[in-house]
Amino acid sequence: MTTRRTSLQAYLLSAPALVIVALLFLFPSIYNVILSLQEISPFQGPGDGEWIGLGNFEYVFGNPEFWAIARNTVFWLTALTVLLRIVFGLALAVALHSPVLRRWKVRGLARTLVLIPWMVPQVVAIASWRWLLDGSSGVLNQVLVGSGLTESGVAFLAQTSTVWWSIVAIIVWRELPFVVMVLLAGLQSIPDEQYEAASLDGAGRIRAFRSITVPNLRPVLTVVVLVTVIQTFNNFVYVWLTTGGGPGTYTAVLATELYSMAFFANKLGAGAAIGLVMTMIMAVFAVLYMRATRTEDQ
Amino acid sequence: MSAVTQQEAAPAPSRLRARRRDSSARRASDLVLLVPLAVVLLAIIFPVLWMVYSALRPVQDIAAGVSWSTLLDNISLDAFVRLFEATNFEQYIVNSLLVCLVGTFCTVIVASLAGFALSRYSFRGRGAMFLLLVATQLLPFVVLITPVYLFFSQLGLLNSFPGIVLVYVAMTLPLAVLLMSGFFNGVPRTLDEAARMDGASTLTVIARVIAPLVWPGIVTVSVTAFIAMWEEFLFAQVFLTDDSLKTAQVGLAGLFGEYGTDWGVVMAASTIAAAPTIILFSFLQRRLVAGVAAGAIKG
Repeated sequence: MTTRRTSLQAYLLSAPALVIVALLFLFPSIYNVILSLQEISPFQGPGDGEWIGLGNFEYVFGNPEFWAIARNTVFWLTALTVLLRIVFGLALAVALHSPVLRRWKVRGLARTLVLIPWMVPQVVAIASWRWLLDGSSGVLNQVLVGSGLTESGVAFLAQTSTVWWSIVAIIVWRELPFVVMVLLAGLQSIPDEQYEAASLDGAGRIRAFRSITVPNLRPVLTVVVLVTVIQTFNNFVYVWLTTGGGPGTYTAVLATELYSMAFFANKLGAGAAIGLVMTMIMAVFAVLYMRATRTEDQ
Repeated sequence: MSAVTQQEAAPAPSRLRARRRDSSARRASDLVLLVPLAVVLLAIIFPVLWMVYSALRPVQDIAAGVSWSTLLDNISLDAFVRLFEATNFEQYIVNSLLVCLVGTFCTVIVASLAGFALSRYSFRGRGAMFLLLVATQLLPFVVLITPVYLFFSQLGLLNSFPGIVLVYVAMTLPLAVLLMSGFFNGVPRTLDEAARMDGASTLTVIARVIAPLVWPGIVTVSVTAFIAMWEEFLFAQVFLTDDSLKTAQVGLAGLFGEYGTDWGVVMAASTIAAAPTIILFSFLQRRLVAGVAAGAIKG
């Protein structure tokens, strides 16, 4: 009797949260599957779609540009930026962990400064970088022209040779602090006895880094990679507000393609189909993530 | 001697070996690390410094470029004046504040209730609820835009603050529930049992007994939620198309979308749009960092 009443209470307390999550996550996810099988525009009601089977998928996959867009998403947007974040993030975390900073009493300052890109909203980060990279009066071009490295300003965001590297730079800059922070916490959690024992055994710094730091950080690195992959793969803002996917569709990614398809081409069904593809790819990473965090809990 | 070493090593035991060798004396070789690190950190903060600096420069100087001799000449708030004269940016800021404050309030209340249930009761479906909350965090949020758009167009929630608040509460709720239940776990159950003996209802227990004890946690959850809502772009862009309803981030993006951009104005708007998150972050840096790091490491 008491248990039944207390679980009723638990359901009542959880009800508002569950209703909101169901309304905004659960039902839309299911409805997205239905949409992907229909032809429907943003100006129609939810029931007005026309069933067209797998037509949307045929349409999306049949577009030769789709595969270039998928490649952009996997390589430029996700793999490259995650790799660079891990490399720079690990280097910075090791530097910030060094006792040298404490000796010079700059540890707190350095750790605050490194977080600054993370404190500004993504849209602001993009605005600031677009200004830095501006083709005529951006400060980078002023330095390049002023020092004679280039004759005239480089339109970093308008030409194919530089546009992806510019977007990659913006993403790595804005998202690096998260990686540094987590890796730094990981470094701090390594017990010193291991380093002491290694030093007694005559191991040098590089050996200690390889045999103690790296293996100890491996679980943290796994989680960081999975989290950043999941966050970045779905990101819409960086590409959309930097280039709008251009020049042409040269920098388009799945998230911007979904948006253009749904709200510019007015094909909500095709947009939903792209969304379903993205969800299925991310489901793999979600399962890996849950597995990685669960084994650590044990 | 050994007592001294031990005491010194206590705050950062990780460097016992290094300390024993050279205590805490600064050495010239330290510069091998410090100088490159300083350069890197300067490069990291440069875009933000440049943003604020550009917002303070007069329009003719911005186009003319930079020179050391006139670096700090003619610093003025002119760009901010132009921003407020030429655009509705003050309206966008008010809209953002309204949406984010109401949204944060709702998220904290709803998350407290659900977090309390997860922390204090063992009920059928508890595991499934945890799984659902974690799963929502991993779902591509952008995918929801098409189905939610159609729902909202049917319900008349497009171009309305209640609509965007609902989206933002849903967006921040799962993490908030998980965090709140963690904070509640840190409060001994004997406290709520004692209050119940005195005849307090569950809601009274949460509001009067538990909430005051997890106050720092509630602040963390509020700030995290507020920042996430303040920064959100996609849903605000698609759902709020009326100019009078736009949020700060969407308004800002509209400024640099056009050709012939007045970068002084854009940087002024950027500075304003970044101010709330920078301020909140600075206040709570340590706690937010600890929370994020703990979330990724765990054990």
